[in-house]
Amino acid sequence: MQTFVPESITWPDTAPALRAQVRALVAAHVDRGDPRRLANSWAVPDPRFSRALGAAGLIGMTWPQSYGGHERSPLERYVVLEELLAAGAPVGAHWIADRQTGALLIRYGTEEARERWVPGMARGEIYACIGLSEPNAGSDLASVRATARHDGDDWILDGQKVWTTNAHHAHVMIALMRTEEGSERNAGLSQFLVPMDAPGVSIRPIIDLTGGHDFNEVFFDGVRLPANALVGVEGDGWRQVTAELSLERSGPERYLSSTALLIELIRRAGAHPDTAVRALIGRLAAETWTLRLMSASIAVKIARGEDPALEATMVKDLGNSFEQAIPELVQAAVEVDPAGPEPLGLVLGHLLQLSPSFSLRGGTREILKGIIARGLGLR
Amino acid sequence: MNEQQQMIAEMADDLFADLSARKTSDSSWEAIESVGLPSLMVDADRGGFGGNWCDAVIVFRLAGYRALALPVVEATIAAALADGAFDGRGTIAPAAEGTLAGDRFDGTITGAAWAEGAAYVVAPAPGGGSMILDMAQASIGGAANIAGEPRANLAFQGATARRLPADIFALGALARAAQIAGALDASLAMSVAYVNERKQFGRPLAKFQAVQQSLATFACEAAAANCAALGAAQAQGRGDGDYAIAAAKLRANRAVGVGTALAHQVHGAIGFTHEYPLHPLTRRLWAWRSEFGGDSHWSGVLGDRICARGADQFWADLTAVTD
Ligand SMILES: Cc1cc2nc3c(=O)[nH]c(=O)nc-3n(C[C@H](O)[C@H](O)[C@H](O)COP(=O)(O)OP(=O)(O)OC[C@H]3O[C@@H](n4cnc5c(N)ncnc54)[C@H](O)[C@@H]3O)c2cc1C
Repeated sequence: MQTFVPESITWPDTAPALRAQVRALVAAHVDRGDPRRLANSWAVPDPRFSRALGAAGLIGMTWPQSYGGHERSPLERYVVLEELLAAGAPVGAHWIADRQTGALLIRYGTEEARERWVPGMARGEIYACIGLSEPNAGSDLASVRATARHDGDDWILDGQKVWTTNAHHAHVMIALMRTEEGSERNAGLSQFLVPMDAPGVSIRPIIDLTGGHDFNEVFFDGVRLPANALVGVEGDGWRQVTAELSLERSGPERYLSSTALLIELIRRAGAHPDTAVRALIGRLAAETWTLRLMSASIAVKIARGEDPALEATMVKDLGNSFEQAIPELVQAAVEVDPAGPEPLGLVLGHLLQLSPSFSLRGGTREILKGIIARGLGLR
Repeated sequence: MNEQQQMIAEMADDLFADLSARKTSDSSWEAIESVGLPSLMVDADRGGFGGNWCDAVIVFRLAGYRALALPVVEATIAAALADGAFDGRGTIAPAAEGTLAGDRFDGTITGAAWAEGAAYVVAPAPGGGSMILDMAQASIGGAANIAGEPRANLAFQGATARRLPADIFALGALARAAQIAGALDASLAMSVAYVNERKQFGRPLAKFQAVQQSLATFACEAAAANCAALGAAQAQGRGDGDYAIAAAKLRANRAVGVGTALAHQVHGAIGFTHEYPLHPLTRRLWAWRSEFGGDSHWSGVLGDRICARGADQFWADLTAVTD
């Protein structure tokens, strides 16, 4: 039995140049004044930075040039993503559009929808959100109840989504809706592209435990959309959603969310750290090094046209557990006030509060382990 | 895996499976020699396979997977370093104490694997680098690790030693990481098979969510150890394995704790018996976790290296080792 076949990764020749390009952009644009903004930075929106990245050709890197993309390789894209996250760059505004929405539209969207939305996404100007979860459909996503029904050539959407990250910054949502009346579970679902300014769409903020506003409730009240708002095939929504999961679950954002804290720990340790701190730094570095290879292995497999769903799930589970463990380990190893003012304390205090979400968002730990168990032949 | 690696893997796995199923004897080692496995990393113009560290790690992983009670790992590394200077089977050791003056070594080498019957040994040299010595000069004090694998202390007086630039301690750690990866995969496979078979409360244990979640956790750890071992082999092949080997041995070591605990837990009492074939894997895992550097050693090495470079070099250094 070998559940994860590691790849001998050949990093692109262009990697050093791409890293240098990203580092220069970050140095020029990212304000490092508040170290908390460097943690979990793929949840930190900054449209100005997104536009700068877009102008530099670093969004939509693998998309066709005809839609504003840059036709670079998946590993070149990977290099850029990991550099951005490791530097704590605020990539939250465009992250979802770049990671999944653009690619989804290129794959399943109508020509009209592609031309309308994708080039703006590549420029870092058009942002997207994910409308999956509902009050009664969390882990059990197949319980989705929000509906879309035909009305002449149009669609009428009703219902509610919840926990929608960045709905208040996004221009479009990809929403999973029930299109077949009386259908059950994962049958009769379809994906829609919903402009967030469509009449009948309303957004209500949900404030998280840190006091921050990242996610929202989104209501659809008789939202009328043209026929081409349907993405892909009517009734194929479940298959289309699950096909995106490998990419969604295995990226560098699944293990780097607490790297800013590790870096502050190294800074505080100085050249001659005590034994416990030195050992902790070594251990966290070993884990980072390993997860990076695992995550990049998935990128290699996806680039070859495989769908490494099981391995991608493992990367997310291991990665989330790792980024979640860091704050607690650091708090145990150093005496520092998590309220600040030391930078190490500020980042620690911030991540202690944020880290419970790491094993919830994008599929909970228990759900991931269930998928892995199925891959092992246990269910 | 490329085609040649596929071939080596199939050959080694068949052979190791066959040898592990029987009681080992002198003829077992002959079976290993007859296919030339120990010269896997010897240059082709010296009659070897000319293989690299990635090829070797595939074989080492399989030796771990089969809990092979033969020194194929140690002999392969020793042969690669001896570069034809000795005949017969070589071995390696993680530690030496004493003095190396010119080419004369006085002192002891500890933890030498399968020293009995070995023709030569490679060990760390006092003061850095490695040294290689003819075993005819050694007096052997036999011992074993907790898995019963022979580990001896060797005393030398005025022995002739040749210096080698290689870091045998790190290379041994790389090999143990690969063996750990294999033994974890094997214990996972055994655990999965067992919970599918064993019934309690009227259904297979595999149907209980708690059991499923435990084995999913185990699978992730085994996966991490496998990726770490291969990543370190790749780095070593590129000529700069220091960082990667430290990280890989440390990561593999950490997987041992989770993996062995869960393997035994899902097996219940049967896994705790001498008769059941789980302990040849788990006892080796516990032994290998210490050999060629435990967690405190490698986390110290890595931590020192990173702290000496400073916070702002952390990520740049991590990526520079692969670019
Ligand atoms: C920061 C953040 C951002 C998010 N952003 C988005 C977004 O942009 N768009 C979106 O659609 N959703 C988003 N989500 C929602 C996320 O996908 C859900 O939180 C997640 O799927 C879990 O659903 P739930 O919160 O309803 O928990 P529940 O499903 O109610 O689960 C509660 C607990 O029970 C466990 N559990 C549930 N079922 C089982 C089972 N069968 N076996 C064992 N344990 C089980 C879960 O693992 C969890 O621990 C976000 C969540 C967070 C925290």
